Amino acid sequence: MATTVLPRPKAYDDTFFKPISLWLTTTDHKLIGIMYMVTSIISFVIGGIFALIIRLQLSQPNLKIIDAETYNQVVTAHGVTMIFFFVTIFVTGIANYMVPIMIGARDMAFPRVNLLGFWLIPVSIILYYCGFLTGHAMNAGWTGYAPLTEQAYQNHSLGVDFWAMSIIVWAISGIMASTNFLTTIIALRAPGMRFSRLPLFVWAQISTSILLLIVGAPLAAAMILLEFDRQLGTQFFTTAGRPVLYQHLFWFFGHPEVYVMILPAFGIISEIVPVFARKPIFGYMSMVAAMFGIVFLSMTVWAHHMFTVGINTYVEGFFMLMTMLIAVPTGIKFFNWIATAWWGSIEFTVPMKFVFGFLATFLIGGITGIYLASVPVDTQLHQSYYVVAHLHYVLFGGSVFGILAGIYYWFPKITGRLLNRRLGEWNFWTVFVGFNGTFLIMHTLGLEGMPRRIYTYANPAWGATNLIITISSFLIAFSILLFLINVVRSWNHGEVAGSDPWQGNTLEWATTSPPPPYNFERVPPVRSFMPLRDLRESGELVEEEPALSPV
Amino acid sequence: MTGRARALLTIGLAAAAFALSSCGVGGGLSPIFPDPVSPNGKGIYDTYVGISVVAIIVFLGVEFALLWVVLRYRRSSQSVGYVPPQVHGHTGLEIAWTAAPLVIVLAIAAYSFVELQKDFQPISNQQMTVIVSGHQFGWQYDYDNGVVVHQEGSITTAVTPFVVPTHTLVKLQFRGTDVIHSWWVPAISGKTDAVPGYDNFSWLKIDQVGTWRGECAELCGAGHASMQIIVQAMDRSDYDAWVNQQKAASASPSASPK
Repeated sequence: MATTVLPRPKAYDDTFFKPISLWLTTTDHKLIGIMYMVTSIISFVIGGIFALIIRLQLSQPNLKIIDAETYNQVVTAHGVTMIFFFVTIFVTGIANYMVPIMIGARDMAFPRVNLLGFWLIPVSIILYYCGFLTGHAMNAGWTGYAPLTEQAYQNHSLGVDFWAMSIIVWAISGIMASTNFLTTIIALRAPGMRFSRLPLFVWAQISTSILLLIVGAPLAAAMILLEFDRQLGTQFFTTAGRPVLYQHLFWFFGHPEVYVMILPAFGIISEIVPVFARKPIFGYMSMVAAMFGIVFLSMTVWAHHMFTVGINTYVEGFFMLMTMLIAVPTGIKFFNWIATAWWGSIEFTVPMKFVFGFLATFLIGGITGIYLASVPVDTQLHQSYYVVAHLHYVLFGGSVFGILAGIYYWFPKITGRLLNRRLGEWNFWTVFVGFNGTFLIMHTLGLEGMPRRIYTYANPAWGATNLIITISSFLIAFSILLFLINVVRSWNHGEVAGSDPWQGNTLEWATTSPPPPYNFERVPPVRSFMPLRDLRESGELVEEEPALSPV
Repeated sequence: MTGRARALLTIGLAAAAFALSSCGVGGGLSPIFPDPVSPNGKGIYDTYVGISVVAIIVFLGVEFALLWVVLRYRRSSQSVGYVPPQVHGHTGLEIAWTAAPLVIVLAIAAYSFVELQKDFQPISNQQMTVIVSGHQFGWQYDYDNGVVVHQEGSITTAVTPFVVPTHTLVKLQFRGTDVIHSWWVPAISGKTDAVPGYDNFSWLKIDQVGTWRGECAELCGAGHASMQIIVQAMDRSDYDAWVNQQKAASASPSASPK
């Protein structure tokens, strides 16, 4: 007589299509995590379309595909969408999904705050895009420097107001999520999951949350003061006020925000390298210490975005030194990753390829960061295409490669199915070539004097370089299209993964794929920072019934 | 294609792209700033070269380490049944690669700081002063001898040059009259922001006759791209003639630009 298999709860069949009422009301961290990630990927596509418009406009000198005002709106929308609505939201989403499982918890500490925090994000996104309905969307760059954002220079249009409101809502959401992550990690760890045994991705989330908790409020403050100026006629940042104060407030948020976007990617890399090299992470404690070094230093460097506004040279020297010191903890992490892979038996799966893509490109972003930190050199490179190239090496070559590695790595856990490997390989190689083709030669434009955020240029010498960049950027778009096709196809038709397709080290691989609503029937014992590997080696690991039947 | 051949092909392509980017000097693919014509620009140029020496060594060292890992430690390069050593760390190594970057960045910071003190302090020994005001969209240059140059923005046509005499230390005093602008001529020096509310400083000293281009580097509105800059250096005699011509032109109301 066959044993009766209980039907799985309706919410957790593997299909993406679930009742809308469930999506709207669920407090399950996994479904909220999926909603975060899907929202962010939609933003990624929208932000990417803006990028392609920018590249078309710049592909040749003196083009007029769009006019200057539209260009300024598009360039702003690209930055706002990618930074606020894509990368930050994606890393929040993947942490929302993974952190509770990795520490052996059943959910986040405040499930309803979690749901509210998520739903503030679509509100924030819609608020921002309402600016386009007014015909005068925000046009002062994602940094929104005053006094250009003040009423006097905006013809009393509402685009800036929608942007400021959107950012305030976004900051509140980020503060909620950070509080929730910290409480969850401190209070809901499984028995045996000491701080010294937390997976490095969880440590990354602790450091990210601390950062966002500290710097979210100054960002909201800057936006509120700006709105006071615009709506109540105060004079904080106007031409008659103190425009540079805005820059201080904004960059006190803005620079740590870079680390809010990259630290989770560091965490993802630290999870993936040991699994596919079949070696434990090299220097666990120094990895954790390095992350906190970065957290501390990142809050002491903001004025390196302001080396041309005319600050006392000794103060500039301080910010230069602190900025360069970030290379030390980052270097520790880099060398530890290489040492983890050294002597390994590396399986170059798609996630591992993205990890090495990350290492190869993020290094360039790190090195150009040293040039930019040097005050004299920065006065040349600041606000030029060199900076645009640098920040994309950090944000795309760093964060986005890390995110893609994370998606290929955790997609089987989230959906129960593997992403198609052949499409994944194509995705990796096309995006790697397209990315470097776009951004490597972009450095040279900045060195030759092309400022960022100009809608066109008259210099014919820049035409060929810009054309190569534009063609390469379309290769990136093609690659992302392959990625999207892969995700959509594999979600329902991919190869069934089983609970542990990669022979992972951490707790998320101990449960079924996708995990049940309560995550674990019984939380496995935790004896080190690689609890699952301990169980596998001691023979205690019981293979779970596959949650999905093969197609 | 095997994984290794594919890896080599990619590396080859990347190397080709890098070589391409470093030899097409000036034609949109220059690896360094334009030849500097002012001592402060030269100082920045030299700092850039100095950092590059270290940066290229670090870049090549780490990329080759990554390449070595990719080629040597891939599973297909290992013997069948190879079990990697379960190393958890090495205190000596970790201290070494904490100390090495620390020494490198302290050296780069010190080197940059010397240049910062040398060329970025406000000067007082200038031979002439020009007040440079940024506005939407153009620049105005107020000379201490009363001459005023209006450099109104234009993307297609050449703008009115800002004329300076050669062999003269010129102090530039920057003012923002509406939003923030940034004055940048790469061949002369770095950029200086023109911020409303206070004066910002830079200087130039050009020892050769010539014309150099630049543009506004801080997004300042729809006309941002049109805020082109032309700096023209003239011999003292040509410069004096130019000054007299400007004074004569502003004396007759019809020739006045405003």
